Amino acid sequence: MICAALAVVISYGLMCGQEKADSLPEVVVTGTGTERLLRNAPVQTEIISGKMLESYGGKNLEDILGGLTASFAFSEGDMGSQMQLGGLGNSYILILIDGKRIHGDVGGENDLGLIDPNNIERIEIVKGAQSALYGSDAMAGVINIITKKHSGSGLYLENTTRYGSHNDLRQHDGVGLSWGKWTSYTNFQLQHTDGWKNTSREFAEAQVFEDSKTMTLNKYTNWQIAERLNFQPVKKLELYAEGMYYNKNINRPQNGTHPSCDVYTYDLMYRNASAGVGSKWTINDTDFLTLDVDWNKHAYYYKYTATTLSDGYDPMGNFTNYFPYFRGQKNLQSDQQRVMANLKGVFALPYSQTISAGLMYRYDYLKSPMRTVRGTVDDQSQAIYVQDEFNHVPWLNLTVGMRLNHNENYGYRFTPKISTMFALGDFRLRLGWSQGFKTPTTKELYYRYLHVMGATQFFNMGNTDLKAQTSNYYSAGLEYRGRKLTVSATLYRNVLDHMIALVNVPVSEIPKDVTSSYSGDGSGEVVARKYMNMEDARTMGVDVNLSYKMSKELTLGGNYSWLDTKAHQYDMKKHRLQNVTIDGAARSKWNAFVNWTHRFVPKYQLGVNLSTRGSSRRYYQNNGNGAPFQLWRLNTTHDIGLSGRPLAFRLNAGIDNIFNYVDRTMRPYHLGTNSSGITVYVGFNVKFNQGKKIKMREMKRSSDDEAVDD
Amino acid sequence: MKFKSLLWAVMAIATVAFTFSSCSNDDDGNSGNYATYQKAVDTQVRTQKKHDKAILLVAFGSTWNNAFLAFDETRAIYEKEFPDCDIYVSFSSAICINRAAAGQNTDEEGNIARRNYYAPNFWLHALAEAKYKDITVQSLQVIPGEEFARVVNYIKDFANNSLGDLDDRYLAYLNEGHIRLGAPLLSTEDEVKNVAQLLNKNYADKAAEGAVLFMGHGNPDSYDTYKANIRYTQLETELQKFNKNYFVGTVDMKDNFKQDVYARMKDAGITSGKISLHCLMSICGDHGHNDMAGRGNEYWDEDEPESEDNSWLEYFLHQNYDEVTATLLGMLEVEDIRNVWIQHTKDAEILEDFYHSMHPEE
Repeated sequence: MICAALAVVISYGLMCGQEKADSLPEVVVTGTGTERLLRNAPVQTEIISGKMLESYGGKNLEDILGGLTASFAFSEGDMGSQMQLGGLGNSYILILIDGKRIHGDVGGENDLGLIDPNNIERIEIVKGAQSALYGSDAMAGVINIITKKHSGSGLYLENTTRYGSHNDLRQHDGVGLSWGKWTSYTNFQLQHTDGWKNTSREFAEAQVFEDSKTMTLNKYTNWQIAERLNFQPVKKLELYAEGMYYNKNINRPQNGTHPSCDVYTYDLMYRNASAGVGSKWTINDTDFLTLDVDWNKHAYYYKYTATTLSDGYDPMGNFTNYFPYFRGQKNLQSDQQRVMANLKGVFALPYSQTISAGLMYRYDYLKSPMRTVRGTVDDQSQAIYVQDEFNHVPWLNLTVGMRLNHNENYGYRFTPKISTMFALGDFRLRLGWSQGFKTPTTKELYYRYLHVMGATQFFNMGNTDLKAQTSNYYSAGLEYRGRKLTVSATLYRNVLDHMIALVNVPVSEIPKDVTSSYSGDGSGEVVARKYMNMEDARTMGVDVNLSYKMSKELTLGGNYSWLDTKAHQYDMKKHRLQNVTIDGAARSKWNAFVNWTHRFVPKYQLGVNLSTRGSSRRYYQNNGNGAPFQLWRLNTTHDIGLSGRPLAFRLNAGIDNIFNYVDRTMRPYHLGTNSSGITVYVGFNVKFNQGKKIKMREMKRSSDDEAVDD
Repeated sequence: MKFKSLLWAVMAIATVAFTFSSCSNDDDGNSGNYATYQKAVDTQVRTQKKHDKAILLVAFGSTWNNAFLAFDETRAIYEKEFPDCDIYVSFSSAICINRAAAGQNTDEEGNIARRNYYAPNFWLHALAEAKYKDITVQSLQVIPGEEFARVVNYIKDFANNSLGDLDDRYLAYLNEGHIRLGAPLLSTEDEVKNVAQLLNKNYADKAAEGAVLFMGHGNPDSYDTYKANIRYTQLETELQKFNKNYFVGTVDMKDNFKQDVYARMKDAGITSGKISLHCLMSICGDHGHNDMAGRGNEYWDEDEPESEDNSWLEYFLHQNYDEVTATLLGMLEVEDIRNVWIQHTKDAEILEDFYHSMHPEE
């Protein structure tokens, strides 16, 4: 059926495909680590362009990825974003900002608030194991956030302020300066919401309370300041330094009346910081060397709102479950730090070959006084990799990569990757096989903590007996990319050996004396969960993407993702393999949009974007499944002013969840979506550019790219 | 490129990097917290002190309102039974203490009530500061297992002045028989016989109609340091001397889960008829309401009939028994059984004698 639909759409697209293109060709870098035209990228790459970002008007990265691709599933929670790509969770998804991996997770969930949605130029998504190029963590795929570059001369100022329902405030400020050989860009962002509550019903104490104060999304505020300084002493050498500080506070309700489920005695606080230096040496038109060294810190605290006894040490230095903290004090839960160094070179070789080769060093350090046995743990790994892109004949591209990984605890491992693309006119057939290799994280190995979710308590445990995970990812994709129509279908199968998952285990696995939470007289129950290797796990699916530019002003598109997952674990008690649910997996996800723009007068352009997204039921091990949902959204953009002038304004207004769908499943059961129902927002953007026109790097390059690729 | 310019660049870049890399100070200067907290407990005890004798009731704790009411009632009854004593209730679960203090549950009349169930070590320290002349610590545990061992350790630490801030002369006085420990419910084999008799007194009518199943907690193997799980087996043996319809199972004791109880029932030929379920725990909380008495699809997985998540009620209903009912009372709410704890308080002994009760097999 899918093939028939594709055939119809493609035939129609071919008929319309004679019209002249009116947009710049898109360039991608993630799949091979080298710049390629999207249509000629040997690795299937999904792209969310700057134009799509503008017309969609997403408030944060979850909103953007959830609304503009069908590949991701999100549930935004206290601890960050629980995200899935191709059936695999956060720890398998590598998130890069300009090619550098973001850092830090809490309970395996990344805090995507670290990424300023207003500073994104485009997003590239490459699915499947990308370990050969990017190393560990990249078994499900890579999201590469390409930020806006302000590389022209003069002064650049930008402010975006957006306000919406639930006192949702988003602020973005950018200051770009360029003088002589120096350029500087400072970015500030603030995100705040008062949060919301979809239901007051909570199941606890064997009854349904109708007055639970627990929020669906807690109130939070985060802000970030980042600076990047570039220096170009000579034409062929670029040096940079960058740094970032990030602070996030999550406030939980303080008016709870039921100690069993809605009483909280602490808020959550995060502090991130990073610093990095690097350089790029351009040897000639095709060859270059880059060196990047960076340090990242992600610290997570409890900030107490009432007197709270917690694990700690009494005045004599003895461990106790009863160390008191008072309102306003904070208590470090974990501090993850990482140092990475990457040396990479790209060289053109005879017979249209491009070689990329590099060395990587990574050091991880985890400080967690009460959540690890010794208080601190660390881990070191190194890798050497090489990739050859062979493009001798125009109809064939062959990319072969390999990486030799070394981890101090898990030894050496070789991970190969092959991608090939056959080109015939506007058709592309891409085949790929890649191996993944992922050593357990320090948290999966050593961390242990009590995770309280209302009336449910989970004691999550690391496991030092874990084996490294390996995967084989196979994909086959057919794409038609005409002038007006783009349609693609990709079939994939990801087979994981020793997949690590947090699964329920007998309560007797909870180590003695680390917590008083193991209940001894029947007043409460703790679900013990431990990171375990599955016997086997596999995910397979089909992704279909379609985009059709009906006219210069009207575009429509849609994505559909079908997924099937299976995982088995050996049950020691029952001596048999048992099925394990991969938490959060949904069989089907989809989205669609129609986008219309029209310039009414030279100084005013209207953009209207109507979009929808949905998901089938999401499955979980504990606390029920998430209900299917379908949400609709309308966004309008109003560009005011003539293009090319120093001052430009944009107004952005929209309605999210137009049909007011709210999942009111009572707590603590899983929601399909945590959307609060209909919300409205309005945003205002002003840009000032004094001096030479500032261009996006890709726009500047776009005219040269065909030559580079051919 | 001039060297000076390059040097300047490197310095500027390094400044940016260091500006953003400044580490926060993770230590909030919390070292005085312990003393501050203790002072608050000391003040509360000093204010409340009416008598020279104190009884400290120690339970694991709960966040359930019905459990708070059961503890309230127990304290009220203790106050009647021991009119010359001040009664304090302590939890050993930090989470239960935190939430009970911060939450706003209701009392018997439905009024909002915050409750401070301080941890045993803080209470004991405060009792010493208030110079009580006689202190009895009463364990509200059912078996002398892991939780009871913690109670013993609290007293030992206290008696040994583990923080070094108590008056040694006063402690020496207490250690001359003025601090005592009341045993848990099933303290000795003889007491198991007594409890069996009292349970039979209360449930003989039900046992005459069908099977009567008690659900205890039990310790998993890795926690059963003191082999106290044997008390459940002993209790079943004693109860069956009154009526073969009595069975005692647990949530966590190896080889004594609901499936094991069912196997023993089948061996005894009890495969149909009525079943009544009772909670063999001090209070009837999560385990009693959900693991034992949970009713409906949430508590039954058709695909995994043997799952530990299936409630006892649903499990036995699916074994074709005619009727399964559950009584949602903790043992503190059964007068005859509560009286056993009260008697243990009256019989409280100095600490050394509890060694054997902690090692039932010896």
